[in-house]
Amino acid sequence: MLTFEPYGNPTYFALLGVALLPLMIGLLYGKRSRLYETLISIFFLVLTFGGSKWTQGVALIIYILYEVGLTWGYAVYRRHKNSGPFFYLMVILAIAPLTIVKVTPAVENGQSSLIGFLGISYLTFRAVQTIMETRDGTLKNYNLMTFLQFMLFFPTISSGPIDRYRRFEKDYRSVPSREQYLGMLQKGIRYIFVGFLYKFVLAYYFGTMLMPKLQLMAMHSRGGFLDLSWPVVGYMYAYSADLFFDFAGYSLFAVGTSYIMGIATPMNFNQPWRSPNIKDFWNRWHITLSFWFRDFIYMRLVFWFMKHKIFKKPTTTANVTYIINMLVMGFWHGVTWYYIAYGLFHGVALMVNDMWLRYKKKHRKSIPHNGFTQVFAIFLTANLVCFSFLIFSGLLNKLWFN
Amino acid sequence: MAKRLLRIFGPLILAAILVFAVLAMPVKLGLSKVSANRERQAAVSLSPNVMKGKYIKEAALKGKYVPFFGSSEWSRFDPLHPSVLAQKYNRSYRPFLLGARGSQSLTQYFVMQNIQGELRNKKAVFVISPQWFVKDGTRKDAFGFYYSQLQTTEWLTHFRHDAIDQYAAKRLLQMPVANSDHFIYQALQRVAAGKSLTKYQRFYLETRKNMLTHEDQFFSGIDLPSQNLNRVNKQAEKLPTHYSYSALDELGGRIGKAETGNNPFRISDKFYNHGLKQELKKGKLKDFQKNLSYTESPEFADFQLCLDQFARLNTNVMFIIPPINAKWQKYTGLSASMLKQFDQKIHYQLQSQGFNNIVDLSDKGNVPYFMTDTIHLGWRGWLAVDKRVNPFLTEQQQQPTYSISDKFYSTKWQNLAPSQLKQYENDTK
Repeated sequence: MLTFEPYGNPTYFALLGVALLPLMIGLLYGKRSRLYETLISIFFLVLTFGGSKWTQGVALIIYILYEVGLTWGYAVYRRHKNSGPFFYLMVILAIAPLTIVKVTPAVENGQSSLIGFLGISYLTFRAVQTIMETRDGTLKNYNLMTFLQFMLFFPTISSGPIDRYRRFEKDYRSVPSREQYLGMLQKGIRYIFVGFLYKFVLAYYFGTMLMPKLQLMAMHSRGGFLDLSWPVVGYMYAYSADLFFDFAGYSLFAVGTSYIMGIATPMNFNQPWRSPNIKDFWNRWHITLSFWFRDFIYMRLVFWFMKHKIFKKPTTTANVTYIINMLVMGFWHGVTWYYIAYGLFHGVALMVNDMWLRYKKKHRKSIPHNGFTQVFAIFLTANLVCFSFLIFSGLLNKLWFN
Repeated sequence: MAKRLLRIFGPLILAAILVFAVLAMPVKLGLSKVSANRERQAAVSLSPNVMKGKYIKEAALKGKYVPFFGSSEWSRFDPLHPSVLAQKYNRSYRPFLLGARGSQSLTQYFVMQNIQGELRNKKAVFVISPQWFVKDGTRKDAFGFYYSQLQTTEWLTHFRHDAIDQYAAKRLLQMPVANSDHFIYQALQRVAAGKSLTKYQRFYLETRKNMLTHEDQFFSGIDLPSQNLNRVNKQAEKLPTHYSYSALDELGGRIGKAETGNNPFRISDKFYNHGLKQELKKGKLKDFQKNLSYTESPEFADFQLCLDQFARLNTNVMFIIPPINAKWQKYTGLSASMLKQFDQKIHYQLQSQGFNNIVDLSDKGNVPYFMTDTIHLGWRGWLAVDKRVNPFLTEQQQQPTYSISDKFYSTKWQNLAPSQLKQYENDTK
């Protein structure tokens, strides 16, 4: 039985091309066949979760039934009632499987959970967001079939981008005009090709050719201050480059494929390395994730704190929420000290960044703002981010505790 | 609309056609020759890419390089390592090291598939590690690590329909990695069942082979690791200008002594400190090899594949059987009589088929500074190898006559207790 990593090899892309061809022709002539879309979605899901990975497939099916039950049940309930505790219960239930999957390796000696499968995080984000918007009342006409299509939309199932139900539904229910669709096609093809460059050339170079060597050198150069050495610095940059090109490349494939299917899945990266500060960085890096965290954790926490008047000053509210928000993101990556330290690092960085911006506002006259400071800000931000990725990479864990 | 579509898809289609055309081209590309320096680098790189590829190996073996098949021992580059000696004393041959940690007979059999022209009527050296011959034979993940689709497709385009190829196909099918290409997998199933390939399969394999051959030509030379060549150059500086066996033996002893002070096993300090020390402290290693046996293993049949291949190509091979560090062997409880029995069994397999160039060092485990660590040759051990390998490769040798027997593929042979060798010999005559 054939089984693939999504976007992993030329055969996958060849199959993708063949499968999308009828769909493209249909969309060019103003037709969207739900049946055909469902069939190829199932086909690619079987390719991803079938064969030797069938246990993941079973886990996916059970998980989907579970989340459908929760969201559908809540949508029905919400039409008549709106109890806070019940809403919290639903959110906790929706997050429970992901929590189990994330905690299992930490308590079971690195063993992965049986109920896990590739992409469980991203599906959880979609489900939780659906429940939250149902509570808000912004999502009124929950449709079971659309929700299934939204969850199981195969181009983005394994690692996002994280679309929103209402946005997806709008695209899914309409057919773009021919002119619009041609534009989407053009973009889609271009994205996929830039993705090839990112993932198969640049990420391969940094990740497969450079990183293992630098890691070996770093391990051999242990003994100095905190076991740090020049190879560690090299590794930091190589890892950052690999992380970016690998994930941005993957995201381009996912977005490109969505565009070809006439769905404008949002972009995940927007030139993150040119951010002049860390806040801007999070508006450009893994955008759909950080916006998800912004809308469903940060904003909600801020409102909750303000509503209950927990902190006197709004700045304290913001600072505490930054830390909580980024810590949750750290825990989401996995329950290891370095993911959590990474989250904490970014929480503190966002706090310091806000403090600096306030200070700068107050002393606008005495702080220079010119081309040089702009370049310096970009340089500083990029290096700070690379350092945080060094923490994230787990190399320090290997250097210190292996 | 047609115009716009052409603008969108035109470049894509053109690129696909071009890439496919270049890769699938049935003609060989006259790319630049492999430079002498690249050959030097590749010969000691121990890189899996070199092993899996063809282009560099083939070019080097056409010249003065001789294939040295083996496994992890090749990475012990001390001053008396065969590659260092051959370079320092400007021998007429240079070793091309094939094998690294985890490569065993089955891997080597497939490595031979795309250097057949360079093995035919020539010489080779082959180190047999007793450690390969464990109950389950080669590890599936290790085999996967060195697996090369290029070699498999090449084998599938020239295999003969006999018991040997059937065995090889069956063995390959047991490896998860054989499934990495669905069409190759199906072809292997046919070979294993004794059927010939379909027309379509042959076409696919031929096309795939061409593509992989071109990929190998384009990419296998990129980023060859050079640290081993640097190591060889550095070690060569430690050697005296003129070759003298006794002086080198004495030097080997001296270096060995200097590098093995901190443990009772005469294991190099570096190796000892790197993990072994911690494990010993926990006391887990005492007698841990007590029940280990090297006498019953599928590896005996896998090894027969290599012998078969050598016989078919009329290659004159010198086999080396390294010892095991005797102090280590005693400490870990590895049975001495079992090792002796393994020796008998492998000798029978070799000699009964006409492979008589055997350097059996199995009784040298007690010689000081013969081994660099637990199971790997070093210093004086390397020199003892050189003493036999050098004349074998530099002097005219009598052409051996091989008489291959298929009985060595049988499960009976794989699991035969060496105590029953005599009986087995009589039964199978």
